[in-house]
Amino acid sequence: MKLKRKLLADLPRSRRVFAVAMFALAALGIALISPRPADDQVPLGEQQVVETAKPRVCVHTLLENEVREAKIKRSLELTRELGAATIVQFFPWAYYEPQPGRFSWDGADRIVRHAQRQGIRIIARLGLVPGWARPSSEAKPTTLNYLPPDSYEKFAHFAAAFAERYAEAIYAVIIWNEPNLSFEWGFRPVDPSAYTRLLRISYPRIKAANPTVKVLAGALAPTREKAGSGAGLNEFDYLSAMYQAGAREFFDALAMHTYGYHDAPSAEPDPERLNFRRAELLREIMLHHGDEHKPATITEFGWNDHPRWTGAVRPSQRSAYTVQAFEYAEKNWDWVDNLCLWALRYPADTLSYPDNFTLISADFTLKPIYFALQDYARGWARSEETWLPPPRAG
Amino acid sequence: MAATATRRLTRRKRTILALLTAALSATLFAIMLIRQASAPDINEAFPAGEIVVGVDASFPPFAFDDGRTARGLDIELASAIAAELGIPVRFENIGFYALYDALISGRVDLLISALRIDRARMDDVRYTQSYYDNGLVIVMPADAPETNIESLAEARIAFEYASSADTQVRAWGEAGRAIQRLPYELPKYALDALQLGLADAAIVDATTLRLYQRETMNSTSHFEYITSDPYAIAARIDRVDAWKLVDGALAALKERGEIARIIDDWL
Repeated sequence: MKLKRKLLADLPRSRRVFAVAMFALAALGIALISPRPADDQVPLGEQQVVETAKPRVCVHTLLENEVREAKIKRSLELTRELGAATIVQFFPWAYYEPQPGRFSWDGADRIVRHAQRQGIRIIARLGLVPGWARPSSEAKPTTLNYLPPDSYEKFAHFAAAFAERYAEAIYAVIIWNEPNLSFEWGFRPVDPSAYTRLLRISYPRIKAANPTVKVLAGALAPTREKAGSGAGLNEFDYLSAMYQAGAREFFDALAMHTYGYHDAPSAEPDPERLNFRRAELLREIMLHHGDEHKPATITEFGWNDHPRWTGAVRPSQRSAYTVQAFEYAEKNWDWVDNLCLWALRYPADTLSYPDNFTLISADFTLKPIYFALQDYARGWARSEETWLPPPRAG
Repeated sequence: MAATATRRLTRRKRTILALLTAALSATLFAIMLIRQASAPDINEAFPAGEIVVGVDASFPPFAFDDGRTARGLDIELASAIAAELGIPVRFENIGFYALYDALISGRVDLLISALRIDRARMDDVRYTQSYYDNGLVIVMPADAPETNIESLAEARIAFEYASSADTQVRAWGEAGRAIQRLPYELPKYALDALQLGLADAAIVDATTLRLYQRETMNSTSHFEYITSDPYAIAARIDRVDAWKLVDGALAALKERGEIARIIDDWL
């Protein structure tokens, strides 16, 4: 240190300033290029196995926007402890192919490696279009869900690369999400024929890259919208139109979304009512088109228990309905291979009713419904009382 | 000698330049302070001559669609603020997922929609002071000797099963508090249990308590907030004048007891 001081003192003032500045710059450079004490130092831990009595129990996770790897690991540990052997997880194309043909898999890798280590298999939902695969924003402003027809091949290329890279970890891929909603189709009129073309192009590419992965189509939103609505088209008309456009040969299972809203899981299905058994009406369309050998995967379902949202039920009902829905499917739906509950946890609270779809809050507080579902999935007798009878005087 | 003179001159120039820069910065800062302190212009704040309020009308009694129009506490609050500012108000019913996008894109001027203050949005949004707190409350009989949480050791606490109150009671249990849990199917039953003397306390959110007291005409219980969940109005971060005017109107309405009256009307 003394030597350094002496060396500096021997220099003219302007050179001293220059030398100090250079030293600071060098230190900054070293700091920037040095390996960061990053999240990727989160240890994977020992190989785990999901202990479950109900292998069809699955949850939808939202790990793609999770900044901290430790939280990804924790979410998947809690999934395993819940007794859920499968997750549905979104893998946004825009995140992983920022430039044509240049893949950046780090974000997907960390999700996949932790899921594998926890013994959880993945149903991967693919979507979200990178800017380079959309029209230029000067020519036409578009949203991230806008996939122009001349980019179907590009999407298929990405989907195939994904399916190949994660062949050991993924059970299925879902092609797009809720294409029967205008919002999910880039704020354009929905188009079952165009979606079928997307399947037709993607299916053989994915299968060539990974022959064992299942390709799931649909993931249609439950909605009562009629033809000509600007918002979308009901899932029955949309699915029928997909079959008419020749979709049958280009998917292995149909992904279904079937939220319960106000109805109990046993409530009769009705095209004019949004409820859990609405999935049976989609199944009828599959049978009508000769697809009885294909399973369905419920990739989103659930109830909401916000105290004041009009689409919600009481927390006690949500808890009971959720378990009853799994029981109903177990007894009556041998054509369903997985039921994936929306949702395990959000990376951050929305501070409104969507938070009341989750099993775990953003700060990792386990909600009572988590324990109720865990008891079911693990085959445990209820470890505690649910609720007391209404109080009466005397 | 000549070089030294040049250096001196340069140093003097530098000093003058630094002084000028400092003076300019101080002037700009003073202008900014004066501008901030001056009353914002309503015509600049709302150039369309109306306030467009985004609301998710699926939250009774804060906002709901009665088939013809949106009604509720938030609707009345927005109307009162607009009246205070002397400007018309128009409502846009927007689903929660699109509310903040509508604000940021300029489709609406304000969000008044039972919004909880979200720290993660403060890069884009300015919140006003709170107009309502929907935190959890612990409710105890009016004749209870103590009305605070510390007095509840060994107490029988009623709450709605699987609600946020349940999560709170579980957390207390995990923290070692000796509490007897009384989960009920509905929050109304938890409050009934308190009224019937089957529980020492009940935990519900503030809105549930108010609606229960309104329904049963019974407001004899004591309550104390144990969590805070403030509702506020949101304006886009760069709409400082709009935010200032609305926050000022809200403060004036509070001062005159108008906010309390609106809350009492609906809850």
